[in-house]
Amino acid sequence: MAKWTMAIDLDRCTGCGACMVACKTENNVPIVTPEEAHEGRVMNWMEMITEYEGDYPNLSVRRMPKPCFHCDNPPCTRVCPVGATYRNEEGLVAQIYHRCIGCRYCMVACPFTAKVFNWHEPIWMEGADTCYNPDVSRRMVGVVEKCSFCAHRLTKVKEEADGEDRSNNDGEYLPACAEICPADAITFGDLEDRTSAVYGKSRDYRAHRIMEDLGVEPKVYYLSKRT
Amino acid sequence: MKELKTGSIASVVVRFAYAGCLILSGACAISSGDEPDQPIAYNHKLHIETVGLECAECHRYVETSAAATLPPLEVCRSCHESEPLTESPEETVLLKYVADGTEIPWKRIYHVPDHVYFSHRRHVVLGELDCGLCHGVMQEQTAPVRSAFLEVKMENCMDCHREHKVTNDCLSCHR
Ligand code: HEC
Ligand code: HEC
Ligand code: HEC
Ligand code: HEC
Ligand code: HEC
Repeated sequence: MAKWTMAIDLDRCTGCGACMVACKTENNVPIVTPEEAHEGRVMNWMEMITEYEGDYPNLSVRRMPKPCFHCDNPPCTRVCPVGATYRNEEGLVAQIYHRCIGCRYCMVACPFTAKVFNWHEPIWMEGADTCYNPDVSRRMVGVVEKCSFCAHRLTKVKEEADGEDRSNNDGEYLPACAEICPADAITFGDLEDRTSAVYGKSRDYRAHRIMEDLGVEPKVYYLSKRT
Repeated sequence: MKELKTGSIASVVVRFAYAGCLILSGACAISSGDEPDQPIAYNHKLHIETVGLECAECHRYVETSAAATLPPLEVCRSCHESEPLTESPEETVLLKYVADGTEIPWKRIYHVPDHVYFSHRRHVVLGELDCGLCHGVMQEQTAPVRSAFLEVKMENCMDCHREHKVTNDCLSCHR
């Protein structure tokens, strides 16, 4: 069984934010009003963490794209009272919106704040309501959502591969962020496949995972020379 | 004059049948036929048996994509150009659409909600399932479809998947 994993090379990442934009359009993630943004209700499935080090003029910036880590031992799925979020056989942590009752326990349980809540019925800008991505459903008010590793793309890739009677190739299933990254900083693939690019990255001497001591086994590796 | 007469006799017969239905406490499925739900009372049986068309010639994308799609006007036009082939009043309606060049506003019966992925290619080509399992015997259907044969319900999808040992992982259908 595949084990879908991401590796983000921070030494290559320029922090341009293309991954955030690609994610937002691919997954019909609502854009909130400035007032809501002020209340901290910005909705992103792919976040960009920015850190400043040192004092002017010796300032350095760190940028770190942060999707859902699709943990192998996810704390969020354990607290869901209705089974709306669960880890499937291929290691994807799913969120079934119509099953979600909006209790937000999972948001609290997630150590990486990967989940966001629909506080309001999403407002679609004029024009945007006719050009959303039909491969992804639009969520309604009162449900939790998060990065899905673009699982809807996997469904299509599998159908394509089954049609040609083969298994899917490394790099055939890519989330929107990995596909768009102009610096090729994001690698995605099957960790169980020892020949995959992402397996190589995960074995890199620079590779580490965030808050590894928690034991939640995130499936996103960060590669960085900086400590 | 002759035509008018046949018409009125037909309508009398229909009315008797309708009265019969009422007596049989409404359990009768015969529709009076003077108000079709669809813009044209399209006949599947006629086109499949008499004309010899295949499903995929009208539902063009059933083998190659998720949606089967209903036939656009140009499909009907390839045979129903300007000369009527029958005396059917339904065909007159069709020829009017053809003359005007406006698409026929067919109503859809089967429908999955936007949060579910259903693919015809997956079921018809890869799964080699017969259309009839989900849609009933369309080859025998003389009137427009009014209700779903196998209702589009999650339990119906899952029952068949269990039978065929296909995954019932939520994420394979939901998106
Ligand atoms: C000549 C073209 C033609 C052919 C051939 C044809 N159909 Fe249709 N089909 C239509 C049209 C037009 C409609 C819409 C009107 C209606 O519902 O009767 C339709 C409707 C349907 C619907 C209902 C869809 C919905 O949601 O409303 C199903 C199911 C269907 N067809 C199945 C089949 C199957 C199975 C076959 C082959 C055995 C077939 N059709 C062959 C033209 C065709
Ligand atoms: C496993 C069940 C299943 C089988 C087998 C199946 N269908 Fe369908 N069909 C559906 C469902 C479910 C829908 C509703 C799809 C949607 O809303 O996207 C549908 C919709 C349709 C429609 C409506 C138009 C559209 O774009 O979806 C047509 C026409 C149709 N099917 C024809 C066919 C034909 C022809 C075949 C055989 C070659 C077939 N179907 C086999 C389940 C099935
Ligand atoms: C391959 C040629 C062909 C195509 C394509 C075709 N038809 Fe027909 N159609 C026929 C023929 C032939 C007849 C006459 C059959 C007969 O002799 O009774 C007919 C008869 C009809 C009639 C009148 C008969 C009745 O009882 O309803 C209607 C209405 C009709 N077609 C509608 C349609 C529609 C709507 C389409 C497009 C979805 C279509 N046809 C596509 C060949 C075709
Ligand atoms: C009559 C039986 C039947 C019904 C009803 C049915 N399916 Fe299926 N489905 C199958 C079979 C058989 C396969 C496996 C096809 C193959 O060999 O690839 C399948 C495969 C699938 C897959 C791909 C699973 C994978 O391996 O990733 C999806 C998604 C799916 N079905 C969705 C649906 C949905 C949604 C419905 C209800 C609207 C539905 N199915 C109803 C028989 C059915
Ligand atoms: C084989 C395909 C399939 C699978 C697997 C599947 N579903 Fe569904 N689901 C559907 C379809 C089709 C509908 C829409 C029709 C209906 O409401 O019954 C639906 C509807 C729902 C709804 C109702 C939405 C509403 O508006 O009422 C919920 C909740 C839901 N699914 C949750 C789940 C959960 C949780 C799982 C995993 C345990 C799951 N589904 C697995 C096909 C599937």
